[in-house]
Amino acid sequence: MSLVTSRPEPGTARPYAFPAVRRVTAHGGTVIAAHLPGQVLATAVLLLDASAARESQGREGTATVLAKSLEEGTKQRDSAAYALALEGLGAELVPSVDWDAFRIGVSAPAPQLADAVRLAAEAARTPKLDAADVARVRDDEVTALRMDWAQPGPRADAALRADLFAADGRYSRPLHGDPASVAAVTVDDVLAFHQEWMLRPGVLLVAGDLDGLDLAVLAEAAFAGTTGQGLAADGPLGLAVPARPHVILVDRPGSVQSTLRIGHRAPERATTDYVPMTLAATVLGGAFTSRLNHLIREVKGYTYGIRGSYAMTRRAGRFEVAAGVQTAVTGPAIRDTLGEIRRTQQEGVTEAELAVARSWRAGQLSVEMQTPGAIAGALATLVVHGLPDDYYESLRREYLEATVEQVSAAAERHLAVDGLTLVVEGDGDAVRKELAEFGDFSEPAV
Amino acid sequence: MKSGQGIVGGVTSPTAPVATTGYPWPIETTRLANGLRVVVSEDRTAPVVCVNLWYDVGSRHEPPGQTGFAHLFEHLMFEGSQHVKKTEHMKLVQGNGGSLNATTNPDRTNYFESMPSEHLELALWLEADRMGGLVPALTQETLDNQREVVKNERRQRYDNVPYGDAWLRLLPLLYPEGHPYHHSTIGSMEDLNGAALDTFKAFHQQYYAPNNCVLTVAGDASPAEVFALAEKYFGVIDPVADIPPAPVGHLAGPATSAVRETVTAAVPAPRLYLSHRTFPFGTAAYDAITVLATVLGSGRGSRLYQRLADGKRIAQPDYIGSYGVDLAHAPAPLIITATAKDGVPVEQLEQGLVEVVQSLVDEPVTDDELNRAKALLTTSWWRQVSTVGGRADTLGRYTTQFGDPATAGYRLPAWQAVTADDVTEAATRTLQPDSRVTLTYLPEEEKA
Repeated sequence: MSLVTSRPEPGTARPYAFPAVRRVTAHGGTVIAAHLPGQVLATAVLLLDASAARESQGREGTATVLAKSLEEGTKQRDSAAYALALEGLGAELVPSVDWDAFRIGVSAPAPQLADAVRLAAEAARTPKLDAADVARVRDDEVTALRMDWAQPGPRADAALRADLFAADGRYSRPLHGDPASVAAVTVDDVLAFHQEWMLRPGVLLVAGDLDGLDLAVLAEAAFAGTTGQGLAADGPLGLAVPARPHVILVDRPGSVQSTLRIGHRAPERATTDYVPMTLAATVLGGAFTSRLNHLIREVKGYTYGIRGSYAMTRRAGRFEVAAGVQTAVTGPAIRDTLGEIRRTQQEGVTEAELAVARSWRAGQLSVEMQTPGAIAGALATLVVHGLPDDYYESLRREYLEATVEQVSAAAERHLAVDGLTLVVEGDGDAVRKELAEFGDFSEPAV
Repeated sequence: MKSGQGIVGGVTSPTAPVATTGYPWPIETTRLANGLRVVVSEDRTAPVVCVNLWYDVGSRHEPPGQTGFAHLFEHLMFEGSQHVKKTEHMKLVQGNGGSLNATTNPDRTNYFESMPSEHLELALWLEADRMGGLVPALTQETLDNQREVVKNERRQRYDNVPYGDAWLRLLPLLYPEGHPYHHSTIGSMEDLNGAALDTFKAFHQQYYAPNNCVLTVAGDASPAEVFALAEKYFGVIDPVADIPPAPVGHLAGPATSAVRETVTAAVPAPRLYLSHRTFPFGTAAYDAITVLATVLGSGRGSRLYQRLADGKRIAQPDYIGSYGVDLAHAPAPLIITATAKDGVPVEQLEQGLVEVVQSLVDEPVTDDELNRAKALLTTSWWRQVSTVGGRADTLGRYTTQFGDPATAGYRLPAWQAVTADDVTEAATRTLQPDSRVTLTYLPEEEKA
């Protein structure tokens, strides 16, 4: 037996193209649709300017409680009838809240999509929001958050966010609130949030085989009866990076792993450095062969996986490294992590590493954007960040053309190893002593 | 398929479109002289191709003392082979724009990469090199490193998460000692610590053979091109004679005595798992179980949600549901779970849960319930095959487990053909209290 010894050369690449985009404006709103010939399934997402950032202080989680209350019946039908009507189409309502928008998604075989959008709009625009139902949903959400916060991760995430955005009000608090803030949400808060933010037309994103979808019908389903104009966007929050690292221990007695969340603030999504920053983070902690995953997982065996990335929203951004490491190696794992961040900041990237990052990011635009759901998400990015329809083609080109100098310069500008906040959620008795060396130590009361 | 039109015809009710096939794309197959089965499903919609290999070896093949070995072995497959240096596999796939992964379960091990289609040949070369040339590259250092990675995977996914070990606890309660599904795929820390290099070399030589594998390519490639490349890269690999089968998974019907286990642990609320052995995946009886599980526990219109989360309001709405685990080599488990709302005693939750399960035996499933379940399953089927990766894996499964990739097209129509009587009969046969496994989690402060 003799295997083929040499690696084959690539064939001829077919040109990349994002699906054709069509627009229909009617009833005060806009439908933006991407054509996916041959897909049986279609997805629609109603995108509303009703993000978590619009919640009031101390009531973080209001939008999430509203999202979960939408299916507790509408002005037209009770909750059981609503569930049967929607699920009878093969669709389920997927409401979600982030820092930039409120989304209500439905997926169904294309012939059922218009009915599914009609029902989604019915829940979004005319939910019953009976006081007793909203209070119960709120209480259930408090319980669900406590369940979630019993897992490793959410408490560390909250501690990191509180430290990075300490002076920025709503942005210092968890996206979906915490058990205490959700418990404080009143029925009136939820009704007011709905009244104030959910009734404008918004945008409907559609991805599917458009030969079988009538966009005018979808526009009417999504926007009929709505009023109001789009809202002006607020400006970026700016950057604040501490002079010395902060170290925060979140005690989790008996934990067999330490959950690491290490980060600092970064520019918002509109930054002109978006492409080189993304590539720098890919080299540092994005790809499987990234510096962090290679050293901490593949060489040291400290973790099942470690990731470093920038997350950027309309008004703020942050750099973050996330991992779960075995408790006994918490200190060494942090030391190695900081070493790789410092090396990337100070020495930049190499051509060999960048070649992987470029091709991976460019290829992912086709490989990871196959489903109607993924394409609808890509359309949402265009709308939220005001990007043109040919954005993904130019993004791909920019990835492929980025130079070592540009990416290294971005790493130097947008990594700050001496201004990191290091959150460790783990067994305090086992790890507390070894954390002081990494910066100003604190341990918040539970 | 060039268009979605025409395959969702034949509407029987306003809300339940019936499909004549769940796989409207072309399928072509061949078999190399060394026994490798090659399946190709061409679709030129996007310049993306998926290469998927199903090896017919899973944790069911592991002898006592070697639990977790099939999965640890899967990790070793990414650490280099005869002509691929350590770390190069990942670098070449991601560095050419691809996504890749592999998974191990009791039944099988699968490996897959979706690539921009100009890199099809690269993917095939990489897969052939680790099928035919892994052993020379296997080192003690690699084994030691990946053993630690897998132990961290176990910590992260099972040991450090509330209720994370439920599946590990259910299996030995559902399947008797010596049964191939008795132990979990992740394995025990003790066995992992004892893993020796020679065992893994022998494991590869035994099971990673062309005649124990199905290679599927879906997407932007033609059958002729793939068949020729398969011959070029895999054709030189020798078959292995007399691959030993896994221990027999035959079980004489459902369990005959109920089993209970109660765990007091660091969990935030009492939770129940009820489980029954049902039928092997791929049988008509299991199709009825799939529909039954959807009627019972999928979505807000399900009986569990309507009666316990809404209705009695004793269960947390985000943590209630039921599902079958699609295992093909022995009766597969149905798992039903609910978590108590604040202040609800676990006994009350269990009584409510048992009543709803029993209702599937006593109360016929209505047309609305049946249509709802079928509509949800229809959407989930089309979602599964909406990517070239999903399609390749589906074809690999049906070729490996049922001998013919075309059988993939039958599953959706089979679900849609399930009747209310089929569901009742499946419930009567499988959901008896005598055959039930009940796993209860209690928070530590409630310790008696």
